[in-house]
Amino acid sequence: MFKLTLRTLNANKIRLALTTFAVVLGVSFVVSSLVLGDGLRNSFGSLSEEIVGGVDLEVEPQSDFGSAQPLDEGLAATVGSVDGVANAVGFVSTEGIQPIKADGTPISTVGPPMIGMSWVDDSSLSGFTIVDGRAPASGMEFSIDEDAAANNDLVIGNTYGVITPAGRVDMDLVGITRFGESNATLGAVLSQYPLETAQELFIREGQLDSVLVRFDDGADRIAVQAAITDILPEQAVAVDQDALLAEIKADFNSGINIFNNILLGFAGVALFVSIFIIANTFAIVLGQRTKELALLRAIGASPKQVRRSTMLEALIVGLVASGLGILGGLGLNYGLRAMFSALGAELPQSDLILAPRTIIVALVVGVGVTMLSAFGPARKAGRIAPIAAMQDSIDAPRQSDRLRNLAGAAVLASGVAVGSFGLFGSIDGVAGRITMLAVGAILTFIGLTFASPAIAKPMISTVGLPLRALGTAGTLSTQNAGRNPRRTASTAASLMVGLALVTTAMVVGESLKQSISETLASEVKADYISSSDEAINSALIAEMGQSDTFSAVSGYRYNEIKVGDDVTGVMGGDLEATGLMFDIGIVDGQLVNDQSQIAVLESEAADRALTVGDELAVTFPSGNTETMTVGAIFSSTTIVDEKYLIHNEGWLTRFGDATDWWASALLADGVSAETADATFASLTEMYPQVQFENRADFNESLESQIDGMLVAINAMLVLAIVIALIGIANTLALSVFERTREIGLLRAVGMSRRQSRRMIRWEAAQVAMFGSLLGIGLGLVFGWGAVTALPDSFVSVLAFPFANIALLVAICAVSGLAAAAFPARRASKLNVLEAISHA
Amino acid sequence: MSLLAIEETNQIQPVTAPVAASARNATKLYRTGETEVRALDGVSVDFEQGRFTAIMGPSGSGKSTLMHCIAGLDQLTSGSVSIGDVSLSDLNEKQLTKLRRDHVGFVFQAFNLIPTLTVEENIKLPAALAGTTPDAGWLATVIDTVGLGDRLGHRPDELSGGQRQRVAVARALAAQPKVIFADEPTGNLDSRTGGEILAFMRSAVDEMGQTIVMVTHDPIAASYADRAVFLADGRIVDEIHSPTAESVLNHMKTMGD
Repeated sequence: MFKLTLRTLNANKIRLALTTFAVVLGVSFVVSSLVLGDGLRNSFGSLSEEIVGGVDLEVEPQSDFGSAQPLDEGLAATVGSVDGVANAVGFVSTEGIQPIKADGTPISTVGPPMIGMSWVDDSSLSGFTIVDGRAPASGMEFSIDEDAAANNDLVIGNTYGVITPAGRVDMDLVGITRFGESNATLGAVLSQYPLETAQELFIREGQLDSVLVRFDDGADRIAVQAAITDILPEQAVAVDQDALLAEIKADFNSGINIFNNILLGFAGVALFVSIFIIANTFAIVLGQRTKELALLRAIGASPKQVRRSTMLEALIVGLVASGLGILGGLGLNYGLRAMFSALGAELPQSDLILAPRTIIVALVVGVGVTMLSAFGPARKAGRIAPIAAMQDSIDAPRQSDRLRNLAGAAVLASGVAVGSFGLFGSIDGVAGRITMLAVGAILTFIGLTFASPAIAKPMISTVGLPLRALGTAGTLSTQNAGRNPRRTASTAASLMVGLALVTTAMVVGESLKQSISETLASEVKADYISSSDEAINSALIAEMGQSDTFSAVSGYRYNEIKVGDDVTGVMGGDLEATGLMFDIGIVDGQLVNDQSQIAVLESEAADRALTVGDELAVTFPSGNTETMTVGAIFSSTTIVDEKYLIHNEGWLTRFGDATDWWASALLADGVSAETADATFASLTEMYPQVQFENRADFNESLESQIDGMLVAINAMLVLAIVIALIGIANTLALSVFERTREIGLLRAVGMSRRQSRRMIRWEAAQVAMFGSLLGIGLGLVFGWGAVTALPDSFVSVLAFPFANIALLVAICAVSGLAAAAFPARRASKLNVLEAISHA
Repeated sequence: MSLLAIEETNQIQPVTAPVAASARNATKLYRTGETEVRALDGVSVDFEQGRFTAIMGPSGSGKSTLMHCIAGLDQLTSGSVSIGDVSLSDLNEKQLTKLRRDHVGFVFQAFNLIPTLTVEENIKLPAALAGTTPDAGWLATVIDTVGLGDRLGHRPDELSGGQRQRVAVARALAAQPKVIFADEPTGNLDSRTGGEILAFMRSAVDEMGQTIVMVTHDPIAASYADRAVFLADGRIVDEIHSPTAESVLNHMKTMGD
């Protein structure tokens, strides 16, 4: 039997290649995810060691909630005086420090942060080395990492503008630095300043983010750490080297894991879709070999042997696919690196680590998926009766689909039930709802795949209706598509999955866009909104507030407070300006610029039985508890997406960090758009990084952000669709082979080559349409579910992008036509005589 | 025209009606590696309109090849074939397809019908492929003659073997072709059912004036024909007019000697 299996495989190499393509792709993604992850973990591991370097201990602020309170700068000297401490250096750093190039444009990155930090003048404590020039020593001097300098033509000796929280300043570039051994900054821009300058520019005067400590050689580390811990204030903690390393590695790893999960997502989609294709191919091929298998049975092979031979075939296919997948994964690994490099985020060099674990996972996944897919067809093959060898049947005998339909309907129903429970059941939290929805969606997919043969025929006849008008080739194509509903359904299933996901993403995206537009129209009165992801310069906001152009300006910041025993989010802004610029649904009271007032979300107020004028004890990260007065109760969470809103004043003392993340402005009465433009032009000259957009532009840029997200998601799904189309091509090629005699007969009685090509192509288009209509139908439902499950503050309107969906259907039908190109060609090139006498 | 045929094949062919299909000096070579097989070796033959001709001969005699070449399903190595007054060697693939569709009918031994189409759709298939509607009156006559009027909506797999062959003949008749080629049409049927089909074909010739060329090795089948042409080793070796099963059988015995 083994020999026979090998011969069969060998005789069908192309079919094999088509079948395995999807598995190869899936395994490739799994492997590249693991290989890249291992490589990155390895190099980030050594990078972490470089960062920690000779730091024996770090004194860090700690807080129970909210942002950590900066340390007092005197602490460095105090720690330095502890016995066994060789050196203790204070350190500050902050994001959003943006040097300006010689041509006046600020350095920008796509994603990676721009970090400014104090220069650590101790080679074992500093993660940086000077490669050119000298270290920034005092005053307005700075140094920058070598890649940032080279990419932006920054030259030692020149003066450059730098945008800092304290405003725009001019600084002399005195040094070029290297981070670690190879300056693996991942695209971040790292600049260094003398400590005092840094404190001033980052608005940290008299404060430190941390103290880096180096011990005396041979010091008793535990004793020194204990001695330091003894003298630390309550809100500081001493972290030793190992813990520090673990902290940094954990930070990196969470980043690497996100990255890994995205790749694994691709792998999952590819593998899920490939199950349908492999199962289908095996079913068809075994169907075609019915006579051969029956003959084997007739001459004495047991059902078990037939089954085993088929599973063995699957095993070999799986092994080959996994092997190719491993190679493909290694290739993909390099491809991804090249892609990131092209995007400006160089991944750190790492060794190619093909761990035994990776190979095992690849084999288990590849072989597992293939054998799982072949299991059903193999069982069926084992049941072929020996008598089938003697029968001359064109279509396989119809067996009852009732059981299958019932099972499918049951799974489908359970999927709908789980999904509905996720939507309407008593589940707390968005994550729980979405998880339930996802489980429901997977069950629905499986159920529908089983049950879809039942609807394949009526649906195909409907879809094919217009084709019937196009003559006999059209009619035949419709009937061919409908003649084996199970095959049509499983061929279309992979397309269904891909399209359901694309459509879901499209519905959510469109609903998001609509929600944003409506919110902007109904709740936003501000004329300008900042459009940067980076922190907003507080100096800029202050300057805008003083300008006559605007009647209201506010920056917005976020942190945590403790109310009673609960830690909860709080948002800060200029309250009166907020009231002018946004309709946050004030139910009672009003927003006034009073540091002691607090605005509360309606539901929270109800929970705590608060009304306007009530007093409320609030604890801040600084440790202070203040008694505040409820000044207003609001109901909309679109703008204020926290339970509490307080005034900006005194924020720094309360929270220790006063970074604004976005800002908005209202034009003063009678100020023209031109005046506003001029004001922004002069502001932009000083603060080039921050961009304000008017409402229309802001709306548009939000929409384009959503579109950008959709593009990324859809790239993954296009992969699924491509695999699905390969599946259609594969199935049709097999169908053409199976119907050789029939096509021969058609050609003999006068079907032209063109008509025969058309017949096959249209059949493919109908299968594609069937799959895409099912998928889109599902996607609309899933999309509705997702939008319903997501909180209203995120998406409040349900909208269907019908034009895009229609386009999608058309693309799928056309792609179906394209997928059929090869089988159609084959059908038309059949030699009529040979075809007629085909056994 | 037929004088040439007489000279070359030493056959006597009384010309009584216009010719529906003919072959002139038809030669077909098959090459398998080094060996060359002469499937047809200079065959010239005429098939007259309104007559039922049987082509007979042992396996490998070239009878099927001759039929395939005249029907435009296969190409000659040299010589020429015509349907009506159209010479097939002048036609490209597209024109050949059109010729088959409009002027030639086929009845094969098995697998004559498209399984997804109903009986009626199968009968109308050539016309449908041409994008035309067959003459309703004629169609009614054909369907009536076939006697399957109550089964028009059925699929082929719901019919018996004999019924399927009848539908195949009806399909061939429906297009009113110049000639119908039948390749062992009763080969898969029992003798009673086979007899019915042959009688049906006979009546199509007698009552509708159809021209039929049938390839067979069955003397009884040949006895339904007006004329039996015998092939051996790619050549026409003999022919009988108004054959009977007995005369054909005797003839085959002589050939065997």
